[in-house]
Order: sequence, then C-alpha cells, then structure tokens
Amino acid sequence: MLKLNQRFVFFRMLPVLLTFFFLLPMLIVQAQQRQITGTVKDTKGSPVASVTVIVKGSTGTTLTAEDGSFTISAKDGDVLVFSSVSFESTELKVTSASSYEVVLTANTVVLSDVVVVGYGTQRKKDVTGAVKSLKSDEFNKGIVNTPQQLLQGKVSGVNVTSSSGEPGANIGITVRGPGGVRTGSTPLFVVDGLPLDNSSTGGGDPLNFINPQDIESIDVLKDASATAIYGARGANGVIIITTKRGKAGVSTLGFTSSVGFSSIANALPVFNGDEFRVAVPQVGGTLDNKGGNTDWQDEVTRTAMTQNYNLNLSGGANKLSYFASFGIQKQEGIIKENDLDRYSGRFNVTQKFLEDRLVLEVNLGVSNTKQKRPPITSVIGDAITYNPTYPAYDANGNPAIYQNINPLLYFELDKETTTINRVTGNISPSFRIIKGLVYKLNFGIDNSTATRDVLSLPSTVPFRDGRLDNFYNWNRNTLVENYLTYAWSKAKHNVSALAGHSYQKIFVQQRNSSINRFVVGGVDPIYNPGVGQDLTLANNRPGGFAFINELQSFFGRVTYQYNNKYLFTANFRADGSSKFGDNNKYGYFPSFSFGWKISDEDFMQNSIFSNLKLRAGWGLTGNQEIPPKITQALFTSLGSASYPLYPASGNYPAGYAYTRLANPDIQWETSEQIDLGLDFGLFKGALTGTIDLFHKVSRDILLQVIPADPVQPATEVWSNVPDMTITNQGAEIELDYRHKSESSISYNIGGNITFIKNKVENSPYTLIPSGSVSGAGITSSTINGYVNGEPIGTFYLKEFIGFDNNGMSAYTDVDKNGVINDNDRLALGTALPSVIYSVYGNIGYKGFDLALNFNGVSGNKVYNYTENVSFSKLRLAKNVNSIPEAVADPKESINNPTPVTSRYLRDGAYLRLNNATLGYNFNTKKLGISNWVSAVRFSVTGQNLFVSTKYNGYDPEVNIDRSINGISSYGIDYITYPKARSVIFALNFSF
Amino acid sequence: MIKKIFSLLLIFTGIAVINSCTKLEEDVLDEGSVAGLTDKQQAEGVIAPVYAKLEDVFMHTTYFALQEISTDEAILPFRGGTDWGDNGIYVQLHKHENIASDVNVRNTWNHILIGISRAVTAMNALPTNTYTDSKLFLAEARGMKAYYSLLTLDLYGLIFVKEDASETSKILRGEEAIEYIKSELLAVEPLLDNTTGPGRLTKGAVQGLLARLYLNAAVYRDRYASSFTFKTEDMDKVIEYCDKIIASPQYALSADYFSMFNDNNHTNRELIFAVDQRADLGNGHNRMAYFSLSGDHFPLTAYPGANGTDGPGITPEFYRTWVNAYAPTDPAAIDPRFYKQNLVVPADSCVPKATFNIDRGILRGQQYGLIRVSGAFVNCGTNGLRVGKLHNTTRPGSTNVPVNFTEQIDFTVAGSGYSTGYRVEKYEFSKTSVSGRNFGEHDIVILRLADVYLMRAEAKLRKGGADASALADVNFVRAARTASTPPPPLANISLDLLLRERGFELYWEMVRRTDMIRFGKYEGTWTEKTSTDKQKRLFPIPSTAIDAASNIPGYLVQNPGY
Repeated sequence: MLKLNQRFVFFRMLPVLLTFFFLLPMLIVQAQQRQITGTVKDTKGSPVASVTVIVKGSTGTTLTAEDGSFTISAKDGDVLVFSSVSFESTELKVTSASSYEVVLTANTVVLSDVVVVGYGTQRKKDVTGAVKSLKSDEFNKGIVNTPQQLLQGKVSGVNVTSSSGEPGANIGITVRGPGGVRTGSTPLFVVDGLPLDNSSTGGGDPLNFINPQDIESIDVLKDASATAIYGARGANGVIIITTKRGKAGVSTLGFTSSVGFSSIANALPVFNGDEFRVAVPQVGGTLDNKGGNTDWQDEVTRTAMTQNYNLNLSGGANKLSYFASFGIQKQEGIIKENDLDRYSGRFNVTQKFLEDRLVLEVNLGVSNTKQKRPPITSVIGDAITYNPTYPAYDANGNPAIYQNINPLLYFELDKETTTINRVTGNISPSFRIIKGLVYKLNFGIDNSTATRDVLSLPSTVPFRDGRLDNFYNWNRNTLVENYLTYAWSKAKHNVSALAGHSYQKIFVQQRNSSINRFVVGGVDPIYNPGVGQDLTLANNRPGGFAFINELQSFFGRVTYQYNNKYLFTANFRADGSSKFGDNNKYGYFPSFSFGWKISDEDFMQNSIFSNLKLRAGWGLTGNQEIPPKITQALFTSLGSASYPLYPASGNYPAGYAYTRLANPDIQWETSEQIDLGLDFGLFKGALTGTIDLFHKVSRDILLQVIPADPVQPATEVWSNVPDMTITNQGAEIELDYRHKSESSISYNIGGNITFIKNKVENSPYTLIPSGSVSGAGITSSTINGYVNGEPIGTFYLKEFIGFDNNGMSAYTDVDKNGVINDNDRLALGTALPSVIYSVYGNIGYKGFDLALNFNGVSGNKVYNYTENVSFSKLRLAKNVNSIPEAVADPKESINNPTPVTSRYLRDGAYLRLNNATLGYNFNTKKLGISNWVSAVRFSVTGQNLFVSTKYNGYDPEVNIDRSINGISSYGIDYITYPKARSVIFALNFSF
Repeated sequence: MIKKIFSLLLIFTGIAVINSCTKLEEDVLDEGSVAGLTDKQQAEGVIAPVYAKLEDVFMHTTYFALQEISTDEAILPFRGGTDWGDNGIYVQLHKHENIASDVNVRNTWNHILIGISRAVTAMNALPTNTYTDSKLFLAEARGMKAYYSLLTLDLYGLIFVKEDASETSKILRGEEAIEYIKSELLAVEPLLDNTTGPGRLTKGAVQGLLARLYLNAAVYRDRYASSFTFKTEDMDKVIEYCDKIIASPQYALSADYFSMFNDNNHTNRELIFAVDQRADLGNGHNRMAYFSLSGDHFPLTAYPGANGTDGPGITPEFYRTWVNAYAPTDPAAIDPRFYKQNLVVPADSCVPKATFNIDRGILRGQQYGLIRVSGAFVNCGTNGLRVGKLHNTTRPGSTNVPVNFTEQIDFTVAGSGYSTGYRVEKYEFSKTSVSGRNFGEHDIVILRLADVYLMRAEAKLRKGGADASALADVNFVRAARTASTPPPPLANISLDLLLRERGFELYWEMVRRTDMIRFGKYEGTWTEKTSTDKQKRLFPIPSTAIDAASNIPGYLVQNPGY
C-alpha cells in the first residue's frame, strides 16, 4: 500500500512537469542571428517533415515542419546540413538569400525507418524502447486470415501459435511470455489508433476482419518503457496495425489475385483395413470385419481451394490523398463442408485544410466473414478411430449407416454457420495551433454483429429429433481521444511532449435461443425456426449476457534528446476502468527509458559500427483483461436455487442466492519490466541487429480464490493474490544481413532468436490446476498444473516409467507409500518453449526473387491427449482404430488402462519451412506495356512445406483450450484440426 | 480565419466533453439485483435456496459416492477400460485410499458449505421479515444449518459455527460440535410445523435427526476409538425421539416397498425428510435411477436417448448377506425389498408402449428391455415396441456381448466389464427424463420411518436388556410390506443381525458408511478393500480449502492421515 501511495504522489506531480516542458521553449531567449527560412522537398516535390537542419560547426539545429518548412538562424557563409533517416544528407551554403528550397533524395537502404509508437511515430534511431516495426513486404506470405499470422517468426519475443488448421480459427499470441495464469494474456491490438477489445465477436479469431493486404505496417511494442503509454492494457505488449494510405502525387491501381490448393500436411498413420484385420486379433480382440479398406481421414478431408482477389486504388493531389481497397477471400478448409469467406473493403482518406494547418484523416474498414463448419471434433475424432474395414458408402453411394455414427454423416446432419459483419472507422483531425504544437482528436468506432446458427438436423436412422441454436452477438467499441503534441528544438536540445485524455467504451452482448424437433426432410430450420415442434423452458431457455466496460485515461509522454546522442523518454498513463473495484478505480503506469547513440560519439568515428545504440528502460504496466462485474456482489434469482416449498405443482418460489461476492479492492494485474537493449549496424549498415535482455515480473495476479472461511455463499471470490509473482525473463537477438547490387544477385539473410524463462513464485496454492480432460476413464484428471518454482504451462503429471511384469503401466512413487495417486504427480516440463527462433533468406536475380522463411521452437513439451484418449491396446481390441506406435510395446498388457500421465508427454520442438515464395517480375518496358501496366508479378508460394519434429500427432504447434475456470491450459493436443500444406499461385498487376 | 479555427476547436472540444469525465461506475446490464420484493417473495426467496442445495449434495458422484462406494454395498470399477475410470477416484474411494485432492470429496464439501452459508443468509434476512411464515422459515433455516453441519461432522469431523454472514466461522469438533448441533435442533424443534414435509424440515424430521445424532454421538466424540462407548443417556434420547415420531399419526410404513422410491413418492407417508424433486421445476436429477443401470438399457419408451451408465454394482459380500439369510430360498422369492419384476417378455416379444416398465431392486443375470437399433426403438404391432435380451450394443467391440449382470465385480479385468456386478434400480427411472440424467421426479429419501424403527431397535440393543422389544421393532418393519408377501420375521436379533437388516432395508440410501463405522465394520475386508486404517473413517478436508485457509495459521487443520 505504501508503495502505491508513493507512486501516486509522484504522478500527481507529473502534470506539473509536463507543463514545465511545454513552457520551457518560451523561456529561452532567441539568439541574435539572421533568420534563414526554407522548404525541404523530396524528388517528387512532396514536402518532407522532421528533417534535422544543423548549422555546421555551431549548435544551431531545428526540424522541418509538416509542410517541409524550417526556420533557423545562421550567418552568411554557414553551411546547413540537412539530414533525415530516410534521405541522403545534403549540405547547403548560406548566401545572401534568406529563403531556400532543398531537395533530398531518398536513402534507399533505410527507407522504412519510422516506427509507430503509441500516439505518434518516431524515427527508429530515436526509439529508446524495445520496438519492432514490420513493413508489408516483410510479412509472411500465403493464405493468411489474421495479422498474427503475418507476424509469426518475424519478431523476437513474440510467440504466435497458429494451433489449428481451420480457416479463421483463433490464433494464440504472447509477447515476452504469459504474465498471468488466466486467459487474457493476449497483447493489445491498436488499428489506426483504435485500441481493439479482445472479446470474441461471435466465432473465430477476433482479428479475422482485417484484410492482411490492407496493412501497411505492424509495430510491436514489447517492453514496458514502450507500452506504458497504453497503461492498464500494456502488460502483454501492444501490437499497432497501420493500414495503407495514399501518397500525394502517386496514383496506383493494383489488382492481385491468387489461387491456392491445400491438403492435409500430415495424416495420422492409423492402421488401414488390411493392417487392422491383422492388428485386432494380435492384441487379443475379436475382429469386427466388414471387408472394406477405408481411409477415414482421407474420406473426411479434401484438397481445398482458396481464392483471393484484391483491388486497391490509391493516390492523391496536394491536399487530398486516399487509399481504397476491396478484397475477397474464399477459403475452403481441408475438412469437408468447412469454409471461410471474407469480403472486405477499406477507404482511408487524408485531407488538408487551412493552409495545411488542419489535417483530417478518415479511416473506414468494413468486412463480412462467413464461416461454415461441421462438428470438427466429432469428425476428426471419429475419422482417426473408426473401424477401417467398414465401407464408407452403401450401395447407393450414400454414407453407410452403422451402429456408431459414420463420420461422414456429420457432414449431412450437423452444421454451424457464423456470419460476422464488422465496421471499424475513425476520424482524426489534427490542428497545428502554433508552430510545433498540434492538437489531435481521434474519434473511433468498431462495431460488429454476428449470427451463429448451430443446427442438428432431424434423422430417422440414426435417430435424432433435431435442434437449432441461434446465437446473436453485438460488440461495439467507441473511442474519443484528445491530445496535444509539442515539438521543440534548440541548439543541442530536442524536446517533444504529448499529453492527452482518452475515453473508451466497450459494449458486448450475446443472446441465444433454440428450438427442438423437426420433421425429417422438411424446411431447413435455419430459414424458419418456427417449424420446430418442441419448445420448453427446460430445454430451450433463452440465454444471454451483456456488459459495458468503460476506460478513462490520462496520458503523457516527454522525449528529450541532447546533441542527438543522449535520448530520454518518459511515458505515463493513468487508467481508470469500470471493471476495477471502488477502492482502486485508477491505476498509474509510468515508464522511463534512455538511449545512448554510442556510434555518434567522437571516439567511434572510425569504428566498424555505422550504428551502435544502447537502450535501457523500466516501466510499470497493467493487465485489465479481467472479467466484468467481478468487483460486485450478485444476489439474484437463480433457477437452481428455486425449490418447491408447497405441495402444489408449478409457481415455484424464486430462490435468491449470492453467486458472486463483492471485492471492492480488485484491480488490474501489475507488470514491472526492465529492458536493456543494444541496436547495432556494421559494414555501412549491411549487417544490422538488435540484442535485448528483459525481466518482467507480474504481480497482483488475479484469480478466483476460495476464502479462508469456507462458509461462503459462493465457493470462490475474485481476488488479487498477494505476493504471488510470475516472472518472464529472457534475451532476444535479431540479425539481418543485406547484400545489394544493382546489376547482379542481391540477397538478404537473417533471423531472430528468443530465449525465455517463465516462473511462478510465492503462490499460496499447492497447485492451480488446468487442462481439463474427459472421457475414457480420465475425467477429473488435469494436465497442466501451476506450482511454485515452475513455469506457466507446466505439465503436472504422474511420471510413466514403463511397464511392470504384468504389462501394466508403472509410475514413479513420489511419496513412496506404495500407492500411486495424484499425490505422486511431478512437474515434468512446460508447454512454453524456452527458445523461439526463425531464419529467413531472400535472394533476387534480375526479375526473379526467392524468399524462404523458417521458424521453430524448442524446449517445450506437448501433451498428446488425442493419443491418450483415442489409441490403446484395449481400445484396439474393441475394434477402435489406432496408430501402430500406441500399441507397439509387446510388454504392455491389453488391459492396461491409459490414465493421464507423462506417457503421452512429447517433445514439442519443431522447425518449419513456414513459407517459401518464388516470384518473377515481368519487365513491362521490354514487353511494351509499361504505359498501361507498370508492374506485373507472378509468384508461387508454398506454405507449411515441411516440418521437422519428433512429435507424433498432426502437428506440434498445438494449443487446444482446456482451461478450467478461466485458468489457461497450454500445449494440449486434442483432436486438433490438422494443418494444411498449401501451394498458392498469385498474379499481381499495378496500373 | 481565426474565427474558423476557433469554431472548429469548439466543435472538437464539444465532442471531447460529451464523452469524457465518466465516474466509471460499472453499469450492470444482465443481472438483476434483488430489489422491490414483497416480504413473502423475500422470505420464500431466501429459504428455497437453502433446500435447493440438497439436490447437489445428493448426487451420485457426491454424497452417494462418499456414503456408498466407500462401503461393502457399492463398488465401481473402471468399466471396460473406458468408463468411470475418472482418474481412479472411485477405486480410491472403495479402497479407502482417498487423497485431499479428490474431486468428489471436494464437491461434496463445497455443496454442503454453500448450503450452510445460504442458511446463514436466510437467518440474517428473516428476523425483520413480516411475512406470516417468516418465523417458520427462520426455524427451518436454522434447522437446515444444523442438518448440513451434521453432514460435515459425519464426513469431515468438524463443523463451522457462523451466526452472521460477516463473521469468520468458528470451527468445532467432537463433543463441542455434537452439543452445538443438538442445541440448534432442540431450539427449532418446537417451532417447526409437522405438515410441511417431507420436502421441508419438520418437527418429525428434526426428531429423527436428533435420534441420528444421539445414535452416532459415540463415534463423533471419539472418532478413532477401537470400540465406541455408547452412553445409556444417549440411547435413551434415541428411543425418546423415535418414540415421538412413531407415535405421530402422520407417518406410516409403506405396504409397497418400492413405491417409496416411485416418481410419485412425495405423498408416501413413510417419508419423513426428503429432497423434493419436481420434473417441471427442472432442477431435479435422475441419477439415483441412472447410475447403476446398464448403458444399454433404455427404460423410457418416449426417449430413445435416455439410458443408464453402468455405474456401481453391489459387492459379492453384500449380495451373500441376502443369500445366506434366506438360503436355500432365493432372496428374490422371499424378500420383496430385494427385487420386483415389472417386465415379463411375451411370446411375441412385443410390449405395448403404455405398459412397458423396467424391473426394480437388485438386478441379476441377463437383462431384458427395449431393442434399439441405430438410435431408434424397434416398433411392433400397434403401439408396441420390441423387447428382448439386451446387448452392449453401444459399446464398440462389445456389441454382441449380452447385458448379463454377474455376481463377480472387482478391479480385475474380468470383474471390470460393462456388465459385471449386480445392480440396484431402487428409484423409479423418472418418466420425463429425456436424457436419463435430468428431470428427476422422485423425492430422494433422507429419512424415513423404517429407519426410525431400526434406530430405536439399535438403541434398545446397545442399551441392553430389551432384545425382545428390539426384535419386535425389526419384525414390525418387515411385516409392514404387505403389498406382496412380506419377508418372514426374524427369530432373534443381535447387533450384527441389525446391521444386516439395515442393509436389507436401507441399501443404497446413503447411510451405509455411517452405519459401518458405528458398528465397527468399516475397517473390515471386502472385495477389493483391505485397508484397516481407522483414520479413513473421516474424509480429508479438500486441499483447496486447506490452501485457501493457509493465511490463517492453525485455522483449518487437515484430518490426521491425509
């Protein structure tokens, strides 16, 4: 508490400091020299902002404004040096003229060295936090549904788990390791200045709505010194997505089309019919043989086609620039009857008024996604275990009817359709009040509506009544932000400041209804649910929920640079959330960071380093991804609390009970992070790299805990657990080497590697279980367990040590009491990789280019829960198909049960050729069409071409959600949708 | 120009002001807190939840499992290597190898303690309520708190004393706990009504619970004793309270034994205290009827998805107590409590839908029932359904194996098949149970008159010198089942015979564990159970509760042996 008070007092002082920085320039007396003015433009005539103008040999320095103008005091004969990251430095001798026009030529090597930080941009060389910017040409290629996939393997410290092969499925992403034990370790996504809410929008990944081809850049803010500007949402990192904008003077029309073919990358090697006929009697079973030879995995999968068409227009004149796009992606899943279609449109406009003092930016994105899926777990779960001697089809070519449902019948009887319409838009005018002082308003809205129909059709054989469930989701996220930025520079001092207020409101609602029993062969109930014949409150009680989250914030940033060598940044945010308890309405999140451009020091003049910068930062951030309403008690009418007090039937009295206890102290989870980084460039920038060391400690871990006194109306109460910490620490290294040659081969190789360790400490709980399982005699077992001294995602299991003399499984008897039970469980590794790495290479020769991207992880384990519940000698003897490996050990008895133990724990390390692209750019000049078509490109991309792994499931990159009470599970493979291997042919035109 | 700028600024500021400076008070949209209730609604609204928790306590996997599977009456192997393995918890339970992380032990604990808490909530709310029945409800809440405490004392060896929701409970064990429960029950006994049962706590129910408490007081006082000392004054109290109930004209032994467990048992006069289940309320469960029945037995003509689950069977030892008692006569032929046949397969194996009904009691050998093909019953005649020998049709690889219940049931492979063990279908399979699991209709018996007679007999025996009177009580119960030929009277009585008789009368009614401990038989050996550890007379306090209380040193102490 004391610590909090000190923090509070300090940050009450912050506005005073901010004011000081704003007033500082006005206090300094101007020097007595002639004022030189001018404009800096690029070769196309567009003004260039933020160019440093220095009077050579003196201390005079300034920056150009948005319109390229500058004013600096100098004497005749002085030499002005114009430098900017994106342009070649230029010198100009001051003559008698007082106004100059300077043209800068683009520096082709580092054209893209601007990074987007919260509420603004910075030149990469000025950044003091751990930030990685990725431009569109660096993104992963192939069939991509979400921005997370664009990033996979591209940024050190970021672990993207694309765990399902299903189109549009949720993609897991963590930045520098999970900081909590609950779900909600997802980073904050900010699209064009609009922070998104991570709530489900009704089905699939919430970011499916963004057309990856509309994205200009993705910036990942990793450490707290960078993310503290996002305060209570910064603890898990921030990912800023910027969509494309038009450029004045350049008109382009682009059309890209691609067609891709996908098929299952790796089917499980279950017995085929002939092998099965041998294997079942071998393990002592009575063979149930219908003479067929069916490959059920082949029957339920297909070669899927994905088509993608994208049209974009961009351009602009002096005052107006725009970008517009329309995209269609029609993707088939490799499981039959599974599709995802997305239509997306975007219109981004920038318009300048009032002599360019007022700049209005408008962004609008709309999307419609429609997803159709069969009951995937049943389809795959049955396909891998169904008797392969059963013919798939009957004499009439229909799926054959057997006692246990033929996996193909699911395609006819069950379907789930989700349609999501989403509109995101923001309007953000900025107004230059005086030179250097800009006021900006950002008003944004993100609105989505979704309809999900889950239909089970009626059937005579197998018998089913049929049922239709309808779910309606509404998500509305509105944002109003007002902020001021001020930039000032004088002599060797360079200051910028930001101060603002933000208010965000998120509304989420779901409603559901259902109806039962339909006539076989009747009207499709989706179109008229009224054809249902059975509707009771017991079976069809409508449901729903709704909540509003409000977030009000005050934020500020000051950067100070001395002599362009010593950099200082302070960020601060005060976040208030309606989710927090009355006693902790506001959280305060500061950060400080320093940078030292060593390469600019005199003593480094002749070194091999073209760039050497040391960074150090510290910051506090929060995680407010906590469920709504948990600070408030709920004493309400509860169906399950009703009881018949009187003999008569019906009209039972309502029962009122506490279902949740109040805790007005509930607050965000706090994360404190230190980062030490080194950016370097050698050999004139040909070899560049970054090394970061980080240490992140999460506190105030939020859990549903049991009160000490167990006599409570509700079993659990939400609470921030005192003392408990989760630490993530590690190192990140990125390296890139570019060889550029105008005439011949140019190439680029690089990679990144992250070493990360996670640890739970001071937990008051013997064990926090997660990873629930069910079925086949293992219900009530858990797979993950969080214990002190071990990481999140730990597998807490009985240790399998082989078979005893009776062929039964033997386990380590930890407490040596002769009885094996849950007290004999051990921490046997974690699902979190200790090493995450990627390697890439690009090579270009004349019109051809080839790009390869590998990524991998190691040090992690995967629990093959599929094998655990599906494959065993006992089940094979009952004519349940199996992979040969699971029944191979001759020592194992047919009666050996298969509980949850380390027997199914596998090494999860893998190396994947994530994507490889071979492209050819046609020489339109030679073809004589350059007046009409400026560029034509043809490319072939292979996605998921090969995986090197010891894992025996579909793919080691797995993470089925088996959370318990919101405690995240990790690394569990359970009948995961198999991954596809795809080949995509693309043709791009620019006009 | 300046004007323009100024007006623009005003517009922006206006937008900013409209949406800013919120107090961040959470606006709860989807939950109604209770407000504006009448006194009647409030009074009913706080007492109903106290009772409603009984349904969760009396589940197959909670109180039933703890009280029956730990004894010689029920055993649940890992069937066919696929069913009821549940991480070994039922095997542990039977072998007395429970551990503090056992989910069933934890769930039972949680349900009971929520029940106590709801009683405290009701006791805090009702004194100021003006509804006419609020005084009665207050007495019922207090009585229910005492009943739930009796359960925690019996299962976990401790009780929580809490009068006000805002205070931390005081933990009592042993004599102090007995005295507290006793005083609470005595305090409410005169206040209760006797016409509101059996679904609510009545005067008769409290008298029965007092008898139960006094009868087991010796155990609760000295939990791990090698033999218990039953005080004469306790036994006198048992007899006194049993006498009061028996003297009440309200209760009567049921002529038809199984009708006490039928869907319509709410009005059966033998029931003194029960969990009132109503299918139309939707909260009830059919687990008592579902748990032991074969997974390939579909007993409802209306619902081809409603089946059993091949849960527990009775141990061969328990079965032998029946056989040995009546040898050479088969128990089914002599004791109507053992078995009741309802299904006679006709020559054409076609039974009218309206009359189809499954057998009750202890089921042995080949089972017959509705034939089901690909999820649908096979029709025959007019409104008839085909019946015949049941097979394990839904079990992959065992589809041709008959549902033929065997005496052998144990943890060996041979003893763990889907059809091993004799089964108990004591409760009627609720006629409206769509899935076989939900929509229970029958009341679940907590206390009934036969138990009162048997408790009185036991007290007389333990007190000594009244054996003939005790025998008369036992034989009175036997003779009452006159709907068919009642079982013959016993010639003599002893404590061992009385325990056997309690098994015959009250099997699977969730009193067996308490009985076996009281009769000193819980450390015996049967089927797969060899543990003689007296510390297993109590279940462990769930590790979650121990963890939660770890910040108050010495507050919640784990039971010895765990």
